[in-house]
Amino acid sequence: MTIKRINFLQELLEFMGLGGRLHLEWISSAEAQKFVQVVKEFTEKIRHLGPNPLRGFTLNNLTLDVGAAAGTAAKTACPEPKETVAQN
Amino acid sequence: MKNKIKEWLKSGQIDIFLGYKTLQGHPLPHAFGKDNLEDIDTLITGSNYYPLEKIATKLVAEKPDIKIGMITQDHSQRALNVLYIWNQLDPENIKPLKGDGCSSNLKEHADDSHREAGKSGQFKKQFGMNTHASIEEAEIFAQQERFQRWMYEFQKCIKCYGCRNICPVCFCKQCSLEHSNLIGTGSLPPEAPIYHLVRAVHMAGRCIDCGLCEEACPADIPLRLLYRKVNAIVTELFDYETGSRLDQSPFSIIGESITLKLKPIAAA
Ligand code: SF4
Ligand code: SF4
Repeated sequence: MTIKRINFLQELLEFMGLGGRLHLEWISSAEAQKFVQVVKEFTEKIRHLGPNPLRGFTLNNLTLDVGAAAGTAAKTACPEPKETVAQN
Repeated sequence: MKNKIKEWLKSGQIDIFLGYKTLQGHPLPHAFGKDNLEDIDTLITGSNYYPLEKIATKLVAEKPDIKIGMITQDHSQRALNVLYIWNQLDPENIKPLKGDGCSSNLKEHADDSHREAGKSGQFKKQFGMNTHASIEEAEIFAQQERFQRWMYEFQKCIKCYGCRNICPVCFCKQCSLEHSNLIGTGSLPPEAPIYHLVRAVHMAGRCIDCGLCEEACPADIPLRLLYRKVNAIVTELFDYETGSRLDQSPFSIIGESITLKLKPIAAA
């Protein structure tokens, strides 16, 4: 049951773009070698995936990203405003 | 139909009937009682849907023996099943009456209800998650982009609890979403994505895909899509189709299967 529950979480995280960052393993206290190996492998995997995207992820960050992108989108969508010469 | 309800009320088969009535131009849920039988003539049927099942659970919490009749649609039966499983309602005391509200199969998004979320605009399609996307379409994006898109959606949340409050199968007395040890308080948007993932995880084996949460969400977050995925995983892993059967949710069982029967606690 634990395996299935962890699988469930793994798939959910994958669906929202945080896949591969959760691992489950049974290691007995007599299996020091296995422990070392599993931790090593997982560390490598995480290193490969890069830092946690949630870290330092703030709304500001996002607004900036989205804002910049919105700027370009808006530019392509709307025609450049014509220069208007004020009367008088 | 109206005569049948009157008969049920008169004969005492039910104490109250939950249906809809137009009040000030709006179809709203309404409880019809036996002391005012003429009132039933104002009952309306159609594609209105409010979580009557949830109203029923609130009534039962106050008066455990009350017998309730109610108008149902396809998903209401699934909601009722879930509430039976979780001991929130007793099937003995509920009398469903099939309404004619479901325009099934007419809309591809809301496959068993009339509800359909608003169209996703250009911006949302470009940077967020299209509300109308299927699970497969939402999985087209690479991990990083998916994350960005979902976070764009989640950060719009104003923590109104509308998704929880409208949900026919949300009934817990204490809600994790309000627990300060689980979800940071005091700031908006609420901690994303944990707020939404906590709700998503709790909808595993519970959500019956009625679509009310998505409709209620003022921030237009594609909640239904998220919970659909959650329950697709549940079906895949546990072979459990939420609401379609009357067996316990796999998440309420410790171990592989139920081996002990519930017994009343013996008097000391
Ligand atoms: S679709 Fe939304 S409102 Fe309906 S059961 Fe699922 S979570 Fe609750
Ligand atoms: S209904 Fe939408 S905005 Fe309100 S708490 Fe739920 S997800 Fe957030």
